[in-house]
Amino acid sequence: MKIFKKLHRVFKLHRIFIKQDLKRLMEYKIDFATGAVGMLLAQGVNIVFLSIIFSQIPALDGWKYEEILFIYGFALLPKAIDHLFTDNLWAIAYFIIRKGDFDKYLTRPVSTLFAVTVEKFQVDAFGELFVGLLLFGISIPHISLNINPLNIFLFIIAMIFATLIYTGIKLITASIAFWIKRSGSITYMFYMVNEFSKYPTTIYNRVVGAIVTYIIPFAFTAFFPASYFIAGGNPWYNIGGTVVAGTVLMAVGILVWNKGVSAYESAGS
Amino acid sequence: MRKIFRIYKPFTHAGILLAAQYRVNFIFFLLGDILMCFINYFLWRAVFNSGGAQTFMGFSEADMVSYIFISFLTSTLAYSDGSYAVGEEIRDGSVVMRMIKPIRFDLAFLFQELGERVISIAIVFLPLVAGVEVFRFFATGAVQFNIVRFLLYLLSLILAYLINFYINVCYGYSAFVLKNLWGSNLLKNIIIGFLAGSTIPLAFMPPVLSEILRILPFASLTYTPVMIYIGKYDLVQILISFGLQIVWLAFFIFLQQVIWNACVKRLSAQGG
Amino acid sequence: MIYVNNLKKEFKKTIKEPGLKGSLKSFIKPKNEIITAVNDVSFHVPRGEVLGFIGPNGAGKSTVIKMLTGILTPTSGSCEINGKIPYKNRKSYVREIGVVFGQRTQLWWDLALRETYTVLKEIYEVDDKAFKERMAFLNEVLELEEFITSPVRTLSLGQRMRADIAASLLHSPKVLFLDEPTIGLDVVVKDNIRQAVKTINENEQTTVILTTHDLQDVENLCDRIVMIDKGSKIFDGNIAELKKKYGQSREMKFIPTDFEAAGKLDYKGEFKLTDDDIEIENDGHNVAVRFNSDKVSVEKILNYTLSHTHVKDINVSDADIEEIIKGIYRSEVKVDA
Repeated sequence: MKIFKKLHRVFKLHRIFIKQDLKRLMEYKIDFATGAVGMLLAQGVNIVFLSIIFSQIPALDGWKYEEILFIYGFALLPKAIDHLFTDNLWAIAYFIIRKGDFDKYLTRPVSTLFAVTVEKFQVDAFGELFVGLLLFGISIPHISLNINPLNIFLFIIAMIFATLIYTGIKLITASIAFWIKRSGSITYMFYMVNEFSKYPTTIYNRVVGAIVTYIIPFAFTAFFPASYFIAGGNPWYNIGGTVVAGTVLMAVGILVWNKGVSAYESAGS
Repeated sequence: MRKIFRIYKPFTHAGILLAAQYRVNFIFFLLGDILMCFINYFLWRAVFNSGGAQTFMGFSEADMVSYIFISFLTSTLAYSDGSYAVGEEIRDGSVVMRMIKPIRFDLAFLFQELGERVISIAIVFLPLVAGVEVFRFFATGAVQFNIVRFLLYLLSLILAYLINFYINVCYGYSAFVLKNLWGSNLLKNIIIGFLAGSTIPLAFMPPVLSEILRILPFASLTYTPVMIYIGKYDLVQILISFGLQIVWLAFFIFLQQVIWNACVKRLSAQGG
Repeated sequence: MIYVNNLKKEFKKTIKEPGLKGSLKSFIKPKNEIITAVNDVSFHVPRGEVLGFIGPNGAGKSTVIKMLTGILTPTSGSCEINGKIPYKNRKSYVREIGVVFGQRTQLWWDLALRETYTVLKEIYEVDDKAFKERMAFLNEVLELEEFITSPVRTLSLGQRMRADIAASLLHSPKVLFLDEPTIGLDVVVKDNIRQAVKTINENEQTTVILTTHDLQDVENLCDRIVMIDKGSKIFDGNIAELKKKYGQSREMKFIPTDFEAAGKLDYKGEFKLTDDDIEIENDGHNVAVRFNSDKVSVEKILNYTLSHTHVKDINVSDADIEEIIKGIYRSEVKVDA
């Protein structure tokens, strides 16, 4: 029963901050609209780019247009979910620690990580979420997906752990700020690797392929799980890899975070 | 001219110091952006491997790779965050301090940004150009570097930077109207990036659209210098595009002046 | 209640050499310097006491407070509050304390103040009934009603400070830490806040630890003072003791009818005092004589003055605490802790 009480508390706090962020959104309607349109366009430009390519070639490295769109859409979903709930980690990397504003999280009787992330609900992520689902809608009728209860279950599992891959990588790199005060550029560099996940890993050379599979395993956020649903394959590798990568990165992230919190030096007087 | 340099030298100096302080950050950001180039590189390699043809809409694989990296180099060097700096000053009201000083608003920003650029040029310029040339040498079996084209590219790049700077300053003035520039800035960057050809060469677009985009100011920012560099433009085309760049630069300097005068009038009427 | 033993905190600071070459060197092989911010500080605070923590800027006050509140981990030494070690049992420990940093708010900038309290209610798991009662009480003491529906970012500094203090007290903490709670506030608000702290302390036996630069705070609120300078404790005792130890000085002020006659008074020669023990100031309107009452009694000084000159007005007072502390900060008064 205690766990339910705890969950209830978590949801209630999330609800308050979500409500607040939606309220702010109403206040800055134009800004939000332009931001959302920007996000949509950013993805739209890439889709135009892909369609230009496919107007000249029948398949890319053996993948047809709709299959690439499916992988692309698959890549956007965990990114959007992570973006929606843990965007405040960027602020940790850029300025919260440097300015000493982390103090307040330490004086609260909840885990610091929860206290930090619950504060922000990043509505911009709806742009990516929308495009991701739209791409699913466009591509799914043209590809042969094997839809059954097991695969739906695996899909949900893949989404959850793919999101954890994103969160874990952000967490590890943002925590570096506890030691060097500002780590935003490092977070940015590692985060950008996620762009590799939008295309089949087979198009990269061996070194790059190995990096995005085993070292910064963004390939497990999209290509491996998505290709399992399109082309079949070994779920233990394609989905299991996502679960393992997500678990490991998140665990390392929490470890580094906790080490960082005890090394935190605050700021000024 | 010499007087201008003397007055605005301190701004350049401040810019260099500022950039030097953040250079480690700058390198990480740069590495993140270079990753994007490599994604495009691999993607195009796969395209050429899948298509079987030697060229893609008139671009060879070597052309395409040069295009990717040189357009990255161009947009990095011609990058301007004038809109952000101007917007911030307008929002926090410190723009008033600019009005009481006997210097030009735009030039002060320009010279400071030139100072910041010095560091980024020092870091990215040589490695990227050398990398592209080595690649082109191995891909085609012959030295492709042409000093005349390279100098013309540099000239076009400088014009591209100045146009971009003035577009951004003009845009920064919208902070007088908008509360938060983040969203619209993102939108602006994407639109300009697309129209300037930094994502897709304008030659790949439908012919009519491609012609229109080439005349609009955005092509002058990335597409023109890159096409000069990779030798896709002949002398006539180069002369025409220089003409266009100069016309657009003059236009935006003029527009900037008009908006600034209007703002000064408004500020002095309303008292900020 | 609060036991602090030999608390020490060191910070590592990277030394940067000038120039591009220097910074490249420090990037590859950083040179570090150890700075001791707090050195061997010990004290004990019983339940219900209000302890004033004072010292000049950069003395290490905030560092001590941050260690006591679990924000910083001490390099060595220990502190124990309510039987808990702040940096080890952080989550359960902070439930029992309230913290206010005057320089920065802990409230959510964009939330309406009322919402802020709802969030804190959830975070601290205060039940509905207790929350209602508590809010009514805090409302009465800190007068939150007039701005409780406004977003925090729109509050004035005084309102924000009241709101912050209320936030720190919502869960009825046993210990309240106030780091410069009156900084930048006007006299009325300062007084308001002091009253509130006093009320809470008296009603609920809340232990209060406060750092301040405003000595009114100290005089009106604190039962005891711990003074630190350069990271070390230099005084620990109540205000009377402080005055007795460093403040034997008294001040006699008078307005003479004849300034020339007053100028001829020779206190130093008459009582054989050194410059350390007496100081005379004559600004043409008032004459002020500050003297050490251990060396010469008030009575003797008064007698000497009145028998050698005529005065329009005269009074003798304790040197105020501000003067004493100023003296200690400037190391004019020799301290032996």
